[in-house]
Amino acid sequence: MAFLDLNSVNTYYGRSHILFDVSLSIEKGEVVSLLGRNGAGKSTTFRSIIGLNPPQSGEVVFKGERISGMRAFRICRKGIGFVPEDRRCFPDLTVLENLEVAIRREKEVASPWTVERIYALFPRLQEREKNLGSQLSGGEQQMLTIARTLMTNPEVLLLDEPSEGLAPLVVALLAEMILKIRKEGVTVLLAEQNLHFCAKVSDRGYVIDKGSVKYEGPMSDLLINEEVKEKYLAV
Amino acid sequence: MDLSFLTVQVLSALRQAAFLFLISSGLTLIFGVLNILNFAHGALYMLGAYFMYWITLYIVGTGGFLLALVLAPLGVALIAAVIETGLLRRIYMQEEIYQLLLTYALVLIIDDLAKIVFGPEFKSIPKPDVLSGSVTLFGGTVPVYTLLVVILAPAVALLLWYLLHRTKTGKVVRATSSDREMADALGINMSALFTLVFAFGAILAGLGGALAGPARTVFPGVGTEVIIESFVVVVIGGLGNLWGALIGSILIGSLETVGIIVFPEFEMSLIYLLMVAVLVVRPWGLFGRPLKVKALSEKNLAMEAQEISPVHFSVHPAVRWAPLLLLLLVPLVTGRFYQYLLSQIFIASLMAVAFNLLLGTTGLLSFGQAAFFGVGAYTVGLLATKAGFGTLPALFLSPVTAAAAAAVIGFFCVRLSGVHFAMLTLAFGQLIFTVAYKWYGFTGGDNGIQGIPVKPISIGGLAGIDIGSNQAMYYFVLLVVGLSVGLIRRIRSSPFGATLKAIRENGQRASYLGVNVKLYQWTVFVIAGAFTGLAGGLYALMEKAISPEIIHWTKSAEPVFMTIIGGIYTFVGPAVGAVVYIVLNSYLVAWTEKWALVLGLVLLTLVLLLPGGVVGFVNEKARQILGKSGCIRRWSFSKSAK
Repeated sequence: MAFLDLNSVNTYYGRSHILFDVSLSIEKGEVVSLLGRNGAGKSTTFRSIIGLNPPQSGEVVFKGERISGMRAFRICRKGIGFVPEDRRCFPDLTVLENLEVAIRREKEVASPWTVERIYALFPRLQEREKNLGSQLSGGEQQMLTIARTLMTNPEVLLLDEPSEGLAPLVVALLAEMILKIRKEGVTVLLAEQNLHFCAKVSDRGYVIDKGSVKYEGPMSDLLINEEVKEKYLAV
Repeated sequence: MDLSFLTVQVLSALRQAAFLFLISSGLTLIFGVLNILNFAHGALYMLGAYFMYWITLYIVGTGGFLLALVLAPLGVALIAAVIETGLLRRIYMQEEIYQLLLTYALVLIIDDLAKIVFGPEFKSIPKPDVLSGSVTLFGGTVPVYTLLVVILAPAVALLLWYLLHRTKTGKVVRATSSDREMADALGINMSALFTLVFAFGAILAGLGGALAGPARTVFPGVGTEVIIESFVVVVIGGLGNLWGALIGSILIGSLETVGIIVFPEFEMSLIYLLMVAVLVVRPWGLFGRPLKVKALSEKNLAMEAQEISPVHFSVHPAVRWAPLLLLLLVPLVTGRFYQYLLSQIFIASLMAVAFNLLLGTTGLLSFGQAAFFGVGAYTVGLLATKAGFGTLPALFLSPVTAAAAAAVIGFFCVRLSGVHFAMLTLAFGQLIFTVAYKWYGFTGGDNGIQGIPVKPISIGGLAGIDIGSNQAMYYFVLLVVGLSVGLIRRIRSSPFGATLKAIRENGQRASYLGVNVKLYQWTVFVIAGAFTGLAGGLYALMEKAISPEIIHWTKSAEPVFMTIIGGIYTFVGPAVGAVVYIVLNSYLVAWTEKWALVLGLVLLTLVLLLPGGVVGFVNEKARQILGKSGCIRRWSFSKSAK
């Protein structure tokens, strides 16, 4: 049994069926990419894992425990952190307050994240400590949402399209951050449309389209698989 | 104006503002986090006052006044916690209107329970000697109690600021109020937080009541007066914004004080006028921000699917026309009581069906329909008594004047959505109510208009038809209502009606398709207003007397109830709801004084157990039975996997 498993997950929005028997398997310490076009079901997969859109059938198993069906805050407290794609930092809270409200699981992990460690990883956030979330730039907001989720001391980090809408320089910086986070022992599941960004940071990838998994394999294989790239990814 | 007069007036304004702030700060806090506009907040205020009365009388005595001031709000918080965990929690996933209705049902229940427990009479709460004297300040005589209130409220405001900005829980509360889902995903226990915030808001309401009780008086229903005032405050300040509540309280408190001195007649009108003026200039209030549109995944889609379901089964025409035939025959075999009861039901049905053109079809919750009902009724009343108009011309003009009123009011209201729309319609409605209530020269003030003549109807100068008798009036009402409801049905199933439904489902997408959403909403607002006015005109003819009570906002709540009872996403639902409501009303009033309690319990049960209403429930069951028996195809959106 892997660290985080999705077994034949089916998820609906109302009566519309979105995910069809999605199965994923992530080992501890891996960085795994979930690739697919807009509307392929990447965000819904994440929302199913974290419990914001619980699956109607199938199960999500984390460290041998079934977490599907639990409420989102419980799943977070089990050690799964979710960074949504639209960078929802709290606009009325300062950067520091954004971090403070997320402090969680300090006793469960050996070396919990502190505000100081976060600032060491994202120095820019320290400079903007007193600013409101709404006053940050897009890249800063992305850093803040990742940093905020790290404050919950997750063992698995779900990153939803972190590179979207960011300048190339910032994207390169982001790749470094993800590798650093991985070094801290955090397992990362990365949803992306940007194949080259994924290739830089992850070892393995899944390709998802129309709500079901179409391909899985090492990133190096995916990079040279023209058929899959052509069919399911906008390259 | 000398200094002593000014001192007294300023302190009186501040005292009023202090009470308003205590109540509305809790209201706005609850709205900010839970997204619920808590109608029961006034009832909690009332409980605070009653607990204060009870605790000072039986437990601590007047000497323990300050202790009681702490205990009473805590008692209110306890009750609020029970309400939140036991009732509200079950319907967070439902649409806003159900939460609004649940809290309204609670108002009816709590008010009647208070009447049972504490008695219907006015109660005054004695103050200890230290607080009952007065001091001289700049030459003016000021009660010590006023000083206590004026000092305590800012202290509470400071405390609130400290809690929200300097404690972890406070920061979590602020985070949650700006993004609930994100807070959930960050491990914040929403259920616990909601209970905490609701109970804390209740403490503020309870403190307001406990503090106001000794200065004013306490009686069952005192909350209904307070709640509308605090709605005005929080809407002016911006829903969910604490500073808005503070500024709004000071504005309204001052306006009330100035109003009483300068325009004693129209003091209440001034308040609604201010609210209308603020919302016209700043639709989201002074400090407010536009509310986020609910994401599709947050909505309860199963209920809307009732209507968009392609499985339609039509009833045999004979079954459809049979009730009408029955209604034509009824007056021949029944007495005046049933003829009158049924006529009442017809008029209420028309009002409810017209209202649902806004709510069920377009997704607009109007809380000011009584205004148009009143405009229609007063049109007939004034034209028939003062201008000597005949019955038909007067009745014909009632939808015209109501439509004109709806055109003006709707012009401003459709710029808003959701709760803000509801509040602005409420404010306009109350504005019209206060004018009709006080303008003795024109509307007869609170006396209303008596002895409205029902002249025989003459058609083309031919012999007149007298509709003065109960039976004739029955047929006349049935005819007018029948034609109107038929017309509304036609409008609803026309392409225009389909566009309205598209706007309800997703206004943004409708506008992407080139639909002028505001224009459609405005048009349907005017149409609904016209039919409501016609219902009002019929009411004036049938009752032959009208009073301003028919414009009061509690009257606006009636079509809302009827629609919810019957079923919001069905056409006949509101009419069925009207039957249930009027019949319950007539029989319960005769049978028990606890009519409000029973109505409240009925509403509560419906909101919790049958959110699709009676008709929605019957439809669903029929569909299931027919589906099982193979009469209709079973249906769902899902495509087969892979």
